Amino acid sequence: MLTANARTAWDRGIRAYDASILDADAWGHGVELVRDVLATIGLEARTHHVGVTSADSVPVASRTDMLSAIALFGLPGAEHPAVPALRLTGTVLSVKDLREGEGVSYGYAYRASADTRVALVTGGYAQGIVRALGGAVDVAVAGERHPVVGRVAMDVCVVDITDAAVRRGDEVLFLGDPAEGEPSLVEWVRAAGLTAGELVTMVGLRAGREETS
Amino acid sequence: MTARLHVDLDALVANIAHVRATVSPAELMLVVKDDAYGHGLEPVVLAAAAAGVSWFGAFDVRTGCAVRDAVGDDARIFAWIAASRGDLDAAVAARIDLGIGDAELLEELAEAARAARASVRVHLKIDTGLHRNGVRPEQWPAFVSRAAVLEAEGLIEVAGVWSHIAEASDSEDDDARAVYEWALDQATAAGLRPATRHLAASAASFARPEFRYDMVRVGAFCYGIRSAGGPSADHLGLRPIGRLDADVVEVGEEFVRIDLGALDGLPSSLQRRATVGTPAGTRSLVAVGATDSLVAAWPDAVVGDVVTVYGPGAAGESTATDLAEIIGTIGEEIALRVSPLVERRYTRR
Repeated sequence: MLTANARTAWDRGIRAYDASILDADAWGHGVELVRDVLATIGLEARTHHVGVTSADSVPVASRTDMLSAIALFGLPGAEHPAVPALRLTGTVLSVKDLREGEGVSYGYAYRASADTRVALVTGGYAQGIVRALGGAVDVAVAGERHPVVGRVAMDVCVVDITDAAVRRGDEVLFLGDPAEGEPSLVEWVRAAGLTAGELVTMVGLRAGREETS
Repeated sequence: MTARLHVDLDALVANIAHVRATVSPAELMLVVKDDAYGHGLEPVVLAAAAAGVSWFGAFDVRTGCAVRDAVGDDARIFAWIAASRGDLDAAVAARIDLGIGDAELLEELAEAARAARASVRVHLKIDTGLHRNGVRPEQWPAFVSRAAVLEAEGLIEVAGVWSHIAEASDSEDDDARAVYEWALDQATAAGLRPATRHLAASAASFARPEFRYDMVRVGAFCYGIRSAGGPSADHLGLRPIGRLDADVVEVGEEFVRIDLGALDGLPSSLQRRATVGTPAGTRSLVAVGATDSLVAAWPDAVVGDVVTVYGPGAAGESTATDLAEIIGTIGEEIALRVSPLVERRYTRR
């Protein structure tokens, strides 16, 4: 996807990329991989300085003559539709019954309104799945969406799967492609009040990383 | 990036001593999951082991094996997440105590033990209301009976019975403890003799003596991170061990720029809401950019001055939990968002 997004920029006549793309291990995507992709396409680095006189938060490059991090990584707000370069998945550890009225996770922030089933899933705020997402976003298992319920813990979260045939070992999609109807950073930004850049960077730096092509 | 997280290992050791004195005669399990809450696994584990900590809580098997590599054969290491058969095999080989809260997983573990011709120490987990992992009460009698059979076959040794509480309210935690007591009775009735009963984490280990049993599992308090909405570190007798510093890289009339930003783990939602410590005392965090931030200037500010984003408070800075409360979260999340690319520096007398 990185390559496809970079090629799209090239095809639009863009010949340079914003060097801030390489910050923070290329926003958690892996600086060596990203540098290779950009070099293969033929894009060159360009820096631009933002002064200390403005109290506005430093803008992510919004110039149209160079490839921005948002466009390369396929983050929300890209001017031309771009596919997210990063997908985040977890694993179902166990599945259990939850009865009407029973709470889930710290503080019992969620209580079941009817008998249901919940899955315990790997991934918590230590992997960048921020606490603010509890009760606010969905994940997908086998293409079907299910809500994250209760407080997100440090390393796990709980998903309400009702009667879906979910089993220990199943893959759980946290972040995918919004164009395919998958859960994505769009919902995360809304729920967490953080930028897509900081959300995706922390996921990329903290979770295990696998390259795909 | 010049930012660095200073980790005060003397403060860690002092906190550990204070926690142990507070919970005695219960033992302390130091929770070191997620790179010791971002402070660095190996230095933390080595300092703790030298201070006499003999139990480490690792969360997953991978971390458990890293603790084993760091401290050697003597320590007891507890992990409670095994996502695959490979994890179970690794846990058996590293002689890790495993927390088991699922009947299916107990069978998988028995197979791994049989294959390794080993007896594995397990801690059976009752779900006392948190509904994460843990066996539901209605399935518990059958679960402990099955564990007793596997123990008689020599495949497992039931070393503990444990649970997590929700800390929703004292009365709900009391209800959870009643379920825990019932689960202990059931285990005894099934012929099990778990030597290590453990229920409490940081907050309950201090506030609720009856929740201590044989051991408490404490991470946050040993790192000097108080509970959000709870008593101060000072009041608890603890000192934050982490201090996040960044250098001033540019000085303007109204603001100075530090080279630490949201991509380094400083939540952008703190902008205009938080304060930081400077050589002139507390100043406002005016803006948080991607890799740099602006702080309200002070007279005579120069490039190279140090701004403390959070820490024990010597420069007028907030604690991690103070920052967390501004944005509706907990101190642990602030500590864990500090990028792994930010250098950790260790101080020791």
